[in-house]
Amino acid sequence: FFPTQKRSKMISFILMVNKQGQTRMSSYYQWMPMEERVALESEIIRKCLSRSELQCSFLEYRGFKVIYRRYASLFFIVGTTADIDAGKGAENNENEMGMLEFIHSLVETMDKWAGSICELDIMYQLEEVHFLLDEMVMNGYIVETNKANILRPIDLLEREAKTADGMFR
Amino acid sequence: MSGMHLSKEFFELLKAIGESKSKQEEDRIIAREVAVLKKKLEGTKKSGPAGSPGPQNQLATNKKKAKEFLVRLLYVEMLGHDGSFGYIKAVELAASSSIIHKRTGYLVCAACLSPEHEFRFMLVNQMQRDLASSHVLEVCAALIAVTNLITADMAPAVHTEVGKALDHQAETVRKKAIIALHRLHQIAPDVVTRSDVIERLRKVLCDRDPAVMGASLNVIDSMAAVDPIPFKDLIASLISILKQVCERRLPDAFEYHKVPAPWIQMKLVRILATLGKNDAQASNGMYEILSDCLKRADVGVNAGYAVMYECVRTITTIYPNPTLLDAAADAISRLLGSRAQNLRYLGLTGLAGIVEGHPKYAAAHQMAVIECLEDTDETIQRKTLDLLYKMTNPVNVEFVVDKLLLFIRTSQDLYLRKTLTSRICTIAERFAPSNAWYVKTITELFEISGEFVSPAVAQNLMSLIAEGSGEGEDGEESEEADMLLRQHAVEIYAAKLAGPKARLPRVLVETMAWVLGEYAYLSASYTLDDILVKLCEYSTTPTLDITTRKFLITAIQKLVAQLGQCPSHAASVIDAYTKSKDVDLQQRCMEFQAILTTAPHLLGEILPVDASCEDVGVDENLSFLDGFVAEALQNGAREYEKPEDDDDDDDAGGGYAASAGAFKMTPYEKPTS
Repeated sequence: FFPTQKRSKMISFILMVNKQGQTRMSSYYQWMPMEERVALESEIIRKCLSRSELQCSFLEYRGFKVIYRRYASLFFIVGTTADIDAGKGAENNENEMGMLEFIHSLVETMDKWAGSICELDIMYQLEEVHFLLDEMVMNGYIVETNKANILRPIDLLEREAKTADGMFR
Repeated sequence: MSGMHLSKEFFELLKAIGESKSKQEEDRIIAREVAVLKKKLEGTKKSGPAGSPGPQNQLATNKKKAKEFLVRLLYVEMLGHDGSFGYIKAVELAASSSIIHKRTGYLVCAACLSPEHEFRFMLVNQMQRDLASSHVLEVCAALIAVTNLITADMAPAVHTEVGKALDHQAETVRKKAIIALHRLHQIAPDVVTRSDVIERLRKVLCDRDPAVMGASLNVIDSMAAVDPIPFKDLIASLISILKQVCERRLPDAFEYHKVPAPWIQMKLVRILATLGKNDAQASNGMYEILSDCLKRADVGVNAGYAVMYECVRTITTIYPNPTLLDAAADAISRLLGSRAQNLRYLGLTGLAGIVEGHPKYAAAHQMAVIECLEDTDETIQRKTLDLLYKMTNPVNVEFVVDKLLLFIRTSQDLYLRKTLTSRICTIAERFAPSNAWYVKTITELFEISGEFVSPAVAQNLMSLIAEGSGEGEDGEESEEADMLLRQHAVEIYAAKLAGPKARLPRVLVETMAWVLGEYAYLSASYTLDDILVKLCEYSTTPTLDITTRKFLITAIQKLVAQLGQCPSHAASVIDAYTKSKDVDLQQRCMEFQAILTTAPHLLGEILPVDASCEDVGVDENLSFLDGFVAEALQNGAREYEKPEDDDDDDDAGGGYAASAGAFKMTPYEKPTS
């Protein structure tokens, strides 16, 4: 009876926002104009902040399935939507628990990379956080979660950067 | 990690942002930073004495400073300010030979350049060079850039190199290449076709490195959702891979919290759902592995629950197997009964999936569902609404609709209200216990969320009232039942019209107008004139939509026809509308006035009672004008001569072409000097 819908999923955006509502990192996998992004980021963090620790880590916002997790002062927020290929009306069949654990896996990876990650690390090395995330997520899909595979190219990148720094004064 | 590698300026900026207490303060800081950055950029245009770079000219020569400039620009944009003055530097830096600078350049481009921005195209050559590079990191940088920045017109320039990268010796390259290839297909399906991708996918699925295989699953998942058929022959391979993963035959590094490669498992299980749906034969081969996978994932950690949940979803999607369904139902029960909210959430979604095809599993959870509906957690409440919708049947439809209506009334979330509205329309139509309930429910829906109701629903409602259902409560006395329905509708609408009319939604007013115009005479509580007065009053509301006005005018005209005479309040309204800005409305009202004065006896025929379902008879020969024509002919009018058939295309050189005005085919003579 219920019309057979196409089901698929993709990540639309990944945010790291602190509890004052300041964005520390944002990565978008579907283009969104700046005003929309700013509005989305401030509204989503407000929604996350309004929820208690005892409530579940998932919410819906403007058609996005949002999964979030708090680590000290920082919220890691992932917004998912139905894959663009499946067309209008497709159902977002995201596995929210899987995404929740992916966030944790991301944090564990960052932890390993920075030797205990904190908000300040992200601020001081914003571009490298992006490079790390780029190893894990591409085109809105989870591409790698194996920490060794993620950190190997990052390591290589950092070593080359040090050499380059030495060469260019 | 300290900020020691940053310049003093940058460090101060970050300190200021970190310590800012309000958005306004942050905006001020960023505005200052924008000014500083702009100055740096201008500095590159000036040069110092004797050809040496000027003091500000460091961005051009010092790559480190250039990179820092870009990261600061990224901050500017991330915090909501425009940094377009600096985009060109990002494009420049992407051409750097230092990999970290190249990556930074590409990163800022990807974050800041909109899809229509012309700078994207400027990067094509650089991407081509980097794709062909012998340095692994440069190829990776290019593949990521392609995925983020490529547009349809850029695709032809890079797709060959991306295809080659699929055979690269480095795992990290192949992994990115399949995603980039898929992206090219998404953007430019004529350049990289479905079959192109599928052909490469088969090989990538069997890649010697599990990470590459894992990446390819995303592409299979996405493409199979659009069309599963080309992937059906991969089922055996997918099952075999899943078996290996579950049995821990992947390297240890793929393990996460004691669960082997959970996200790879989830993707495989999800793909199986797509491929096994409605396909008994395909599903058959999956039962064993799904059962195994479900059991092995049950280790009491979140990653395990995530895999279990995916298995449950697949089990309820593919061709049903009773043993597996029982196992799935069992898992759902445990999740629902958990004290952890996240697990309850999974239980709710799982239950919604299973009751669609197998309602019997819902019975055991009625109490739990009611509890969830009243949970303080809004997410849990909304998931329960989803569940209720899937559980609707003729027995519980009134309860379910009541709950959905309650949420529409109390929610501020427009998205939710829209979804719930369309859901109510669906189930009300399908499961309505009686026509009277349907009319009442849809009317209420119009009132609280009319702006989200599709016009088709209003049409349906009006058809239902006009045509009736063709069968009464007992299948007999249908005409009486239909009449009762109309009367019922009329009473509701007449009362609504008489009550407070604060901003009724358009769709509701139009429906009411039509019903009252047709059937007002059935009302026991109001006279025709009462209703006519109210309609006239309402039609003077200044904020009405044009179509709404037309509905009202037509209703007023119908009632006048039924009354047999036009009371002054109706006459004044019609008169006012003869001056309407809408020409159609003007015409209707003028014609009506004309008929009223010259041929009032025709009103009953023009606006007949309860004849909305009858066909309008059309006399193509206009035989009713025969008398008029005969009279005119008698008085000397000329008979009508039908024009001869005009052949538009004559043969070249024939008839018409020979007459004056045809094209001259011979060239002009040369001028004589």
